[in-house]
Amino acid sequence: MPASAAQPVPSAWAVMQPVQGRIRFAMALSGLSAAAALGALCALAWSVHTLLQSSASWPWQPLLLAAVLTALAFVLRLTAFNRSHYAAFHLETLLRSRLSEHLAHLPLGYVQQTGSGALAKVMMEDVKALHVFVADSTPLYARAYVSPLLTFALLLWLDWRLALAATAVLGLGVAVVSLALRGSADMMRRYNEAGENVGKAVVEYVQAMPVVRTFDTGTATFCRYQRALEAYRDVVKSWYRMSGTSSRLSQIILSPLPTLVVLVWLGAWLTSRDALDAATWLAVLLAGTGMAESLLPMVSLRHLVGKTQMSIHRIHEVLAEPVLPVPAAIATKMPRDAGVRFEQVDFRYMADGPLVLRGVSFEAPPGSITALVGPSGAGKTTVARLIPRFWDVSAGSIQVGGVDVRELQPAALMQQVAFVFQDTFLFADTIANNIRLGLADATMDEVIAAARAAQAHEFIAALPLGYDTPAGERGVFLSGGQRQRITIARAILQSRPILVLDEATAFADPENEAALVAALANLMRGKTVLMVAHRLSTIRDADQILVFDQGRLVERGRHEALLAERGVYERLWSNYEQAQGWALRGAQA
Amino acid sequence: MSATQPQITPLRETWRQLMASARSRAPRLRASLIGLGISAALQGLALACLMPLFQALIPTAHHPSADWQAALPWLLLMTGLMLASMLLRWRAQGFDHRGDMVDNTHELRTELGEQLRRIPLEQVQDKRAGEVNATLLGSVDENLSYLLTIVNMMAHALITPAVVALAALYFDWRMGLILLLVFPLLIPLYRWRRPAFGRGMRMLADAQQRTSADILEYVQGLPVLRAACCAGLQAERLQASFKHLETIQTIGQQKGAKPNLILATVMEMAVLLVVFIGAWLVTQGTLDVAILAALMVIVVRFGEPLATFVLYAKVIDLIEAALGKIDAMLRIEPLPQILPAQAPQSFEVAFEGVSFSYAQAGKPTLQALDARLPACSLTALVGPSGSGKTTLTRLLMRHADPQAGRITIGGVDVRAIEPERLNALISVVFQDVYLFDDTILANIRMARPEASDAEVETAARAAHCHDFIRRLPEGYATRVGDIGGRLSGGERQRISIARAMLKDAPIVILDEPTAALDTESEVAVQGAIDALVRDRTVIVVAHRLSTIAAADQILVIDGGRVVEAGRHGELLADNGRYARMWEAQQSAKNWHAGR
Repeated sequence: MPASAAQPVPSAWAVMQPVQGRIRFAMALSGLSAAAALGALCALAWSVHTLLQSSASWPWQPLLLAAVLTALAFVLRLTAFNRSHYAAFHLETLLRSRLSEHLAHLPLGYVQQTGSGALAKVMMEDVKALHVFVADSTPLYARAYVSPLLTFALLLWLDWRLALAATAVLGLGVAVVSLALRGSADMMRRYNEAGENVGKAVVEYVQAMPVVRTFDTGTATFCRYQRALEAYRDVVKSWYRMSGTSSRLSQIILSPLPTLVVLVWLGAWLTSRDALDAATWLAVLLAGTGMAESLLPMVSLRHLVGKTQMSIHRIHEVLAEPVLPVPAAIATKMPRDAGVRFEQVDFRYMADGPLVLRGVSFEAPPGSITALVGPSGAGKTTVARLIPRFWDVSAGSIQVGGVDVRELQPAALMQQVAFVFQDTFLFADTIANNIRLGLADATMDEVIAAARAAQAHEFIAALPLGYDTPAGERGVFLSGGQRQRITIARAILQSRPILVLDEATAFADPENEAALVAALANLMRGKTVLMVAHRLSTIRDADQILVFDQGRLVERGRHEALLAERGVYERLWSNYEQAQGWALRGAQA
Repeated sequence: MSATQPQITPLRETWRQLMASARSRAPRLRASLIGLGISAALQGLALACLMPLFQALIPTAHHPSADWQAALPWLLLMTGLMLASMLLRWRAQGFDHRGDMVDNTHELRTELGEQLRRIPLEQVQDKRAGEVNATLLGSVDENLSYLLTIVNMMAHALITPAVVALAALYFDWRMGLILLLVFPLLIPLYRWRRPAFGRGMRMLADAQQRTSADILEYVQGLPVLRAACCAGLQAERLQASFKHLETIQTIGQQKGAKPNLILATVMEMAVLLVVFIGAWLVTQGTLDVAILAALMVIVVRFGEPLATFVLYAKVIDLIEAALGKIDAMLRIEPLPQILPAQAPQSFEVAFEGVSFSYAQAGKPTLQALDARLPACSLTALVGPSGSGKTTLTRLLMRHADPQAGRITIGGVDVRAIEPERLNALISVVFQDVYLFDDTILANIRMARPEASDAEVETAARAAHCHDFIRRLPEGYATRVGDIGGRLSGGERQRISIARAMLKDAPIVILDEPTAALDTESEVAVQGAIDALVRDRTVIVVAHRLSTIAAADQILVIDGGRVVEAGRHGELLADNGRYARMWEAQQSAKNWHAGR
């Protein structure tokens, strides 16, 4: 995902927008809790005051008040944290839903290029990373602001001299903190970058271990791993060098003890000169020592927010990716027939990238079989993927049934076209549901009929749970060929007039191959077929063969005619024959 | 054995692991941790000074006016103790700030990385183990770097109150006793809460794992889902999974909050209880109001660290878990070496009664398998997926040792061959090629770091990749990461074959090297393989039977045994398993689209 510098990244606070009300409520509760806690301290001071005046009776009123306020402060704080947590959880759900919905409307090419792993990481990990900030830090922020302010007001009311002294310590602490935070944004960025590099190096190092060990016991990768570690260590150390002293100092100054000692000295001196009432002094000591302490979380919070920022950036990047334009509901057309037509199609992946397809024009009449062939990188797979709008063309147009694919509602386009991709994908659901994907009302009989046509019924019925057997990564083990037949059954059930096949290059195991071939033959019956073919023997009887080379459609025709032309196709064919005839030679052969 | 026994031992064990992880810095770490403890104790003493101080300054019935002279020494002592406490803390934190901790985690990660190269490859091979290791290597730093902060907080929550309580004994034994009784409550309470916390975490982790898997599945299956018109908000399973996670999170928060609520309430109430009893004692005339006032000022400061102690205790669990995993990882022994080490003089390979099962698998992968592979011969392994073909090649490379039987090269047990030597004997070409984010030159040269540029180029020529490498923007100096996807599967495969050429090992393993290639690349890769296998002992795992029809020996493997063996013609004549596979492939080959 390239960083798009032009788009402003929303601040950590803006990301919370969907749950803003709830967060504000939580922060208000947290502020109230700080006030109640302070109130409890006042009540305690009042009880001592009462005792000082007359030690005869137990001061039940202030003590009861202290108990009630303490309990209240605690309940408020807990509720604040609960509220902010619930809000944060809800925000996770909202953001994930939004991301999933957004991905459903992006060019599939973007999804493929970015990689499913990276996108899944954004949806899971980056969204999760927001939690600490949204849930844990918002109430603390409220407290860090409310508590010192209220305390200061209270102290001022009690005794202005002591108030100033406590504030002076606080001010000193804040000054040192800001010294510690100087340049920290830049440092934090470097720190996070170095940390991410370590993460990448670790993954490479661990993943490549089997490969690496067969060659050099891992020296080269280990060096890369170590370089990343060293860079990280150096960043951390220079951060400590830069702000270590001031951050250590600020932690010590903002701890309760220094404030307490200052207030004790000043108070003791004033009391001994009868310039201060003992009860007032006690009240100040009770309330004032915590003034600086409540600022402490601010420092560690800043680091958390800094980390969150990178996650926000990545989430935002995905959400800012423009979706495929969809025609307005009224203006949509319906395809007339099952023909596919390319008209002067140019295509490039990126606006400033090289052309991958140039001036490609062809027509696949309804019910015909068209094969797309060419050397790797010629553009044949791109042609196949433009039909379902993995991307939109850069120039020219693609028509299905006489209508530009961009003028069809996505659902209407999908109603016309079925796809069988190279990489078979099964969901963690039953085999039956995998076959009836998107056709929830298909009956079991229809599912079984499709499976039979796809040569899959026999092995499915032999499974312990039959059609109810769970499939997918977390399900039962199925061979590549079996998985592919299930996806073919899916396409057969969908029964759409146009079929785009990206032929599997290698059928996983030899015994399945014949069945797979029969399944494909059933699937193709009566359809307009466009197939990307690697094994040229399979397309000898195709109605037309389109030969691509370097993004251009260079030859077209039937097998024999193309061979006679002695061009690119003829070269491909002889290569193919040669590859088919190749065999490893043993010593005695 | 008392019930508390198993809980105490792990603590000692954690300390041992911690010191072991600090290695040469262990004395400094110990000093630093003890320093933090003493600093907290001094802070307790400094706070305790408030008691005599208040006695001198707060006017009561006994002495109606403040006594500055009596207060001054206590003021000075308190200040001195505070400064000493700060100084100690400052020095103790130097372990973090001077960079000791960073150096320490750095060394630890380096060592873990080196360990990863020594331990049996089987242990790092499967994906899950890979993830665990990656997490471990990635998080060592994060977990350990909080150590001092946490210890500091624990010291303030446990040591400071204890010292204050002991000092209070001297001034008023009853108040001291109450303090001593109340504050250690935290420990049993914390222990009681800990398993509940663990349960909640597991529940949450499960739900998160489920959502994570669902998300990955969704993104991977997006083309299919969109083709079926059930992507985005229509992907009901996904949206349900999000809702489910939120529900679990909410329940977890509620459940987690309850014990937390009780614990913190108990601690806050304990503070109030001290005040209540103190006030009552004052009304009875048996306690100096100054002592009560002093204790009040002190204990209200305890509420915060005590209440948050539990929240931070989570991190202790993380540190403990990390230390445990580090320890376990460093304890894994490399595969044993039979002495004296021997060097094979010839390169025939023999499997003699080899049985092997993976640690996590129920049934054995290989069962008393016998096979002989003469030197400079070509042996093909065929059979259904999961039949044990790849396991066989892995055992030869000693990713793991078989549970029974032995494998020999030139008559020498592979366990008697030094790892470096064994490694030098075998080259592998895998189906998926792993190229590193480095130059093409470095990617090839990794097979023999001392090779000259000319030697690398010779290997590249032999592997049919010199021409396309020359056409790259910077030739051999092109970084793989910069061109990434622009290398085709065949080109990547040829680079990996060049690696194997350069390595020039007498034994070559080919694991489906042409499975995923298009025709044009295939011809080039085939040419490269022909050059590679010349005059070597070759083992090839193949699915396309036509490619191995000319092998010297074909081993048909099923269910962990060799079920058929022989040359192509012989096996066809046997009309068994191999013959059926061959027929199926031939008929599929003749299929073509059209009507």
